[in-house]
Amino acid sequence: MRPTSRFSRFTKSALLTAAALLASTWANSNLARAHSASDAYLDLTVEDAGTEGKVLLRAEWDVALRDLDFVLKLDDDGDGRLTWAEVRHHQVDIERYAYAFLHFDGGPGNVCTIQPRQQLVDDHADGAYAALFFAVSCTRMPTHLKLDYRLFFSIDPSHRGILIVHHGADITTALLSPQNAKVDLALGL
Amino acid sequence: MIGSHPQDRSGRSALRPVLAGVLALLVQTIAIAGSPAFRAPFTPGRDDEVLQLVPSTKDPAVAAFIDLRSRFATAKNDLALALQLADAYVDYGRQVGDAHYAGYAEAVIAPWLAAASPPVQVLVTQATILQYRHQFGDARVLLARALKVDSREAQAWMTLATLDMVQGDYPAAGKDCVQVSATAGFGWGLACSANLRSYTGNARQSLLLLQQAGLGGGHLPSAQQAWLQGLMAESALRLGDWPLAEKYYRAALALAPQDNFLLVNFADFLLDRGRPAEVLPLLATHAQSDTAFLRIVLAESALHAKQTQLDTWTMAARFEALRQRGSDFFGREQARFALELQHDPASALDLARRNWQVQREPWDTRLLLEAALAADQPKAAVEALEFIQKNKLEDPVLEPLVVELRVRLHAPAVAAALPGKNH
Repeated sequence: MRPTSRFSRFTKSALLTAAALLASTWANSNLARAHSASDAYLDLTVEDAGTEGKVLLRAEWDVALRDLDFVLKLDDDGDGRLTWAEVRHHQVDIERYAYAFLHFDGGPGNVCTIQPRQQLVDDHADGAYAALFFAVSCTRMPTHLKLDYRLFFSIDPSHRGILIVHHGADITTALLSPQNAKVDLALGL
Repeated sequence: MIGSHPQDRSGRSALRPVLAGVLALLVQTIAIAGSPAFRAPFTPGRDDEVLQLVPSTKDPAVAAFIDLRSRFATAKNDLALALQLADAYVDYGRQVGDAHYAGYAEAVIAPWLAAASPPVQVLVTQATILQYRHQFGDARVLLARALKVDSREAQAWMTLATLDMVQGDYPAAGKDCVQVSATAGFGWGLACSANLRSYTGNARQSLLLLQQAGLGGGHLPSAQQAWLQGLMAESALRLGDWPLAEKYYRAALALAPQDNFLLVNFADFLLDRGRPAEVLPLLATHAQSDTAFLRIVLAESALHAKQTQLDTWTMAARFEALRQRGSDFFGREQARFALELQHDPASALDLARRNWQVQREPWDTRLLLEAALAADQPKAAVEALEFIQKNKLEDPVLEPLVVELRVRLHAPAVAAALPGKNH
């Protein structure tokens, strides 16, 4: 038995819209079971105190290839299989994109720049990441270095940057989010 | 870094207590398995080496949201288009089991949500996203705001009905279903009530209503038909009619073969029925979804497969990554992982109890009962036992657990003499 008469007052499209809404609601509720949200890992190592213009930080920044594919369409042939050739072909795009969302500020008149060193691939538990290696240097030694991290926030506010700072034997961590995009690194040099 | 070859990080690992547990497990795993799961950052050797699976643009669902996305890029003020794109993202993310898309959807509607009086549909879509992330309290706040503006917003009532069912407030869900019927139409009200009945001791009625509602007819898109078949499978589970449940699962998967939610539920069914070997081919291409991956590892464990330890570590590392990012909405999976793969009943009970305070679907209740038995803490299950009795929840898997817990609670001496007391 089908109570089709009950539905006669719906136009087909209205019914389908309702169906889509209902189904997505119900199924979504029936659990988020899709846990793997977007993370990137920014690992900074503070270099020894030194002379002006010296490198202050060495860094490895791991950014998920599937996140980069979403913004840069790395998968050239669209077959869903991202190969090394495709990633290599887009390495310049990846660097240009990522570094546009990361800044270091050494204070008034103290210009700090990022110098990309190399780009490798790193495996994580949830997939492969582009591993961006870079150095940071400033005109002169700052006592505080402000980090401003905005990667993916405008397209995915649930993205998180997991910051790990190595300073001698000390290790500090921070979770970078749209609400916590700026971190003050006390260099204490 | 996290997940890299431990030998490259060994000098640091001791300094990162947050990772110590995971790394210790990894080191142990490597020692046993002999080969590392992960390598240091590397340059691949071959051009055709596949590094990562990504959504294929040949998938019609992917092509559809790419099209919407490019149209929206040139019409950033178009609310209708924004909602369409956000819904497409949410649907796709749910289908493949990828939480990224909830974030993408959130970004699309963010400008409207920031307004003093956001459009009702934006509030409801955001509530759906929050619900997806198990931020149930925040989702309820937005739904209340939406319904205050428009008490006839069908989607808001549907979402609220779902929330109440997931959280085990069945009287409230019953009232929501009445509103669903009034705002979305009789058919949806019927589906709502039918679903509800499967949790309150009326699974047979639930099944009949779903079968008769007529919603599963050919006039609905296949994804929605699959969803209804999935609900029927769940009602059949409550009845303990395994062949019928399997029939509905297979029918649902024939319509939506890639649906993460259905795949995971069917995998749980197969694991329960002692058929782990069938889980591996079922989920072979879905390892990227954490929920699917957990079932793969459970199946491997049941089969004593040699990759079990390595994959158990990978699962632990994924949970650790979630913990690091501050996510805490994976209690059910984590409790099950602790119980069945880490064999840590105390942790499992702690996780299952916390999870049960947030969500109370049959699986959540089951895990709490199982963990309470395994940890020999029957008192920890008292509230859940009352919940089962009050709501008349019928479930042939829960039943023996309930009986054993009651015996242990009321006649510990008898329980001690029973065989198989050490679950």
